[in-house]
Amino acid sequence: MTKFIEEIKRSKSFYSLLGLIGLIIISSIIAPNFRSINNMITILRQASVLLILSSGLTAVLLTGGMDLSVGATAGLIGCICAQLIKAGVPIPGAFMIGILIGAFVGFINGTLAGILPSFIATYATNWVLSGLAIIVMNGAVIYDLPKNFTQLGVGYVGPIPVLVIMAAIIVIILYVLLQKTTYGRQVYSYGSNAEAARYSGMPVKKIMKSTFMICSICAGIAGMVITARLNAADAAMGEAYGLQTVAAVVIGGTSMLGGEGGVGGTVIGALILTIIVNVMNLKGVSSFAQPMVVGIVIIGMVLFDINTKRRQEKAAN
Amino acid sequence: MGKTILTAQKITKLFPGMKALDNVDFDLQAGEVHILVGENGAGKSTLAKVILGAYRQEEGEVFFEGERMEVSGTKDAIAKGIVAVYQEFTLVPYLNVAQNIFLNREHRTKLGFVNHKKMEEEAAALLKSLNCEYINVKSPVKKLSVAEQQMVEIAKALSYKPRVIIFDEPTSALSEREAESLFAQIHRLKREGIGIVYVSHRMEEFPKIGDRITVLRDGKKISTIGINDCSETELINMMVGRDVSQVYVRTDNQHSGEALRTENLSDYTGKVKGADIFVNRGEIVGIAGLVGSGRTELAQLIYGINPIKSGKVYVDGEEIIPKSPVNAVKHGIGLVSEDRKKQGLALGEAIALNTISVSLKKFFPRFFINNKKINGIAKQNVEQLRIVTTSVNKQCKYLSGGNQQKVVLAKWLNFDPQIIIFDEPTRGIDVGAKMEIYKLMDQLAAKGKAILMISSELPEVIGMSDRIYVMHEGRMVEECKRGEFTTEQIGSKMLGLGVGGKRNE
Repeated sequence: MTKFIEEIKRSKSFYSLLGLIGLIIISSIIAPNFRSINNMITILRQASVLLILSSGLTAVLLTGGMDLSVGATAGLIGCICAQLIKAGVPIPGAFMIGILIGAFVGFINGTLAGILPSFIATYATNWVLSGLAIIVMNGAVIYDLPKNFTQLGVGYVGPIPVLVIMAAIIVIILYVLLQKTTYGRQVYSYGSNAEAARYSGMPVKKIMKSTFMICSICAGIAGMVITARLNAADAAMGEAYGLQTVAAVVIGGTSMLGGEGGVGGTVIGALILTIIVNVMNLKGVSSFAQPMVVGIVIIGMVLFDINTKRRQEKAAN
Repeated sequence: MGKTILTAQKITKLFPGMKALDNVDFDLQAGEVHILVGENGAGKSTLAKVILGAYRQEEGEVFFEGERMEVSGTKDAIAKGIVAVYQEFTLVPYLNVAQNIFLNREHRTKLGFVNHKKMEEEAAALLKSLNCEYINVKSPVKKLSVAEQQMVEIAKALSYKPRVIIFDEPTSALSEREAESLFAQIHRLKREGIGIVYVSHRMEEFPKIGDRITVLRDGKKISTIGINDCSETELINMMVGRDVSQVYVRTDNQHSGEALRTENLSDYTGKVKGADIFVNRGEIVGIAGLVGSGRTELAQLIYGINPIKSGKVYVDGEEIIPKSPVNAVKHGIGLVSEDRKKQGLALGEAIALNTISVSLKKFFPRFFINNKKINGIAKQNVEQLRIVTTSVNKQCKYLSGGNQQKVVLAKWLNFDPQIIIFDEPTRGIDVGAKMEIYKLMDQLAAKGKAILMISSELPEVIGMSDRIYVMHEGRMVEECKRGEFTTEQIGSKMLGLGVGGKRNE
């Protein structure tokens, strides 16, 4: 047990976890109904889309790359999926096509990232994908999708939303993939020192590209889930998620330089971002004031994170 | 030799789980070069850092010019006149020479802007005093050679007008000629009455510059002796703590069949021009040559790092096209690369994960890994190679150079390639670790591996190789068997000189 605690303490996400616990304690005090089971489930449901997106992005950040196009990818694939379903393609078929398109987008992003800095490459593809979504929708919005499809976003299995179950499955798959497989080790090795990974005979280009594919597939799934939840598709629906996804991964302790962090931390980051908004809604904070508060709380949390880390490191010396 | 300027008394420094320094005394006189030697982890760098104020000792005191030093951090030490020149450079690559020398204490004009002209004049004067007026003070440091950067680093140290300079492995990146000019400067500094602490592994340098030597082992001071009062063997024995009759181990081996052959191999950079070599199973083949003769580039061609322009590579008699390291590894070729920090290790990762980085698929063919198994493998490596660490989960960046190199070796031992290329396998590591690496190479050859060794250290090439190629300007100019060569012969071939002192070609 002590060994387990030691291991958690060593990981970069430890301080994010402290932050999350602190946030939960403060929230419970200032908003008594925060603690209700119902609200907990609400938080998980609200966090689901962000969890799917940010778990995928974690793979890219672990290699030291960046993907700014997750929002647009989600938007585009959600729109394509809605159009396909409207055109009469069976739901599982539409879903599979969405995933394949996600893989393709990731392949393009990954290929470009091998030539340009990934930050710039994906900033550019973000524009291209947003534009494609507008073309796909022909500037309009689609409503009223079949109930079988929207269940994905609003349905329940017992007391638990389908959305939460999907998010949990994706988080677990990515956790296992990155922590418990030879592939995951390659991703970390590449992120820690790409040159050394190459000298160790690892297929470095494939590894890098594959993380972008994972990221875009997750973005595609997230896009389809958003569409199901909204019961509508709109070309701009993914926009708000782009930087929020990056924030969730980084707040969760994954280094932008690669090699450090993981999906566990990202779950913490996504929950932190969701809880902040949830508590403000419970307290009736005006929606005009909310974005400002979110920004201030993020600064506070990251400062706390950095300070605790410094103090701990000093104590260790 | 002048008066004592620096004394350290009974210094003890603790690190978690170990005594880095145990009751160590040290003193330095004005105009003296005092060499610090010892194996990795013996406490040389720790002692240097205590003197510099980068570490605070648990016990003991440091006196500087008779006054007790109360420093907290290197800034205080610099203010008092104690500076260090490190093995790893602290220069900013994109700033020019003058900007680097006066970094963070730039001269200002009356209006408060940076006075580039004054900085450049002073920097030029400093470099001139080091006989380095050929270095352009306006040139970005990035464009300088390693040796030139080292001289800038020294100029920067001198700009503080120090009384004591600590050199930490200053020659590890320098060629012999560059090292000689550094020694000339050290002699000049000595004459000016500056006290010099010199940390190095290279024993052949000691008689050229040293006055006294202090040997440390496991954090304890073993002895302080005059440079002429002991032989090299005695010194090694003191460092290692056991009798070392022979540094190079080469048991007689049976060579059987050819494992690797290159035919007329050339690369696109023009560094390798038609190289022909072959290595048999069970044989250690050395490549001697100057830095820049194309040795490393040849290794990189065989290992698939750089593309081949023309020529062929054969493994076990069959032609292979090493398009990438993935490919080379598949054919059973391993490369212990020249730069372990950049190419050998993921420094931020644990030892355990580095040791399996080549053999992930071998140990875990079914995709899922098992941390217990990884730790078990790493623990075996740690034991077998005597890697000094508290845990296999320690990040490699916290290991000493010798131990890092052993992790790189462990990585390849676990994969078990048939052909292993060692590029500068013992650079910057202490004599104890060196000997272990030689022993390991010998054992590998005895097991029938084909070993190609590239090294700048001629004694090492001669001591270990069954056969030697001398490489000059991209091609092999000489091939000779064990016992057929002398240092002088190979040395002159390396320079491209014929036997009678004439140039080849």
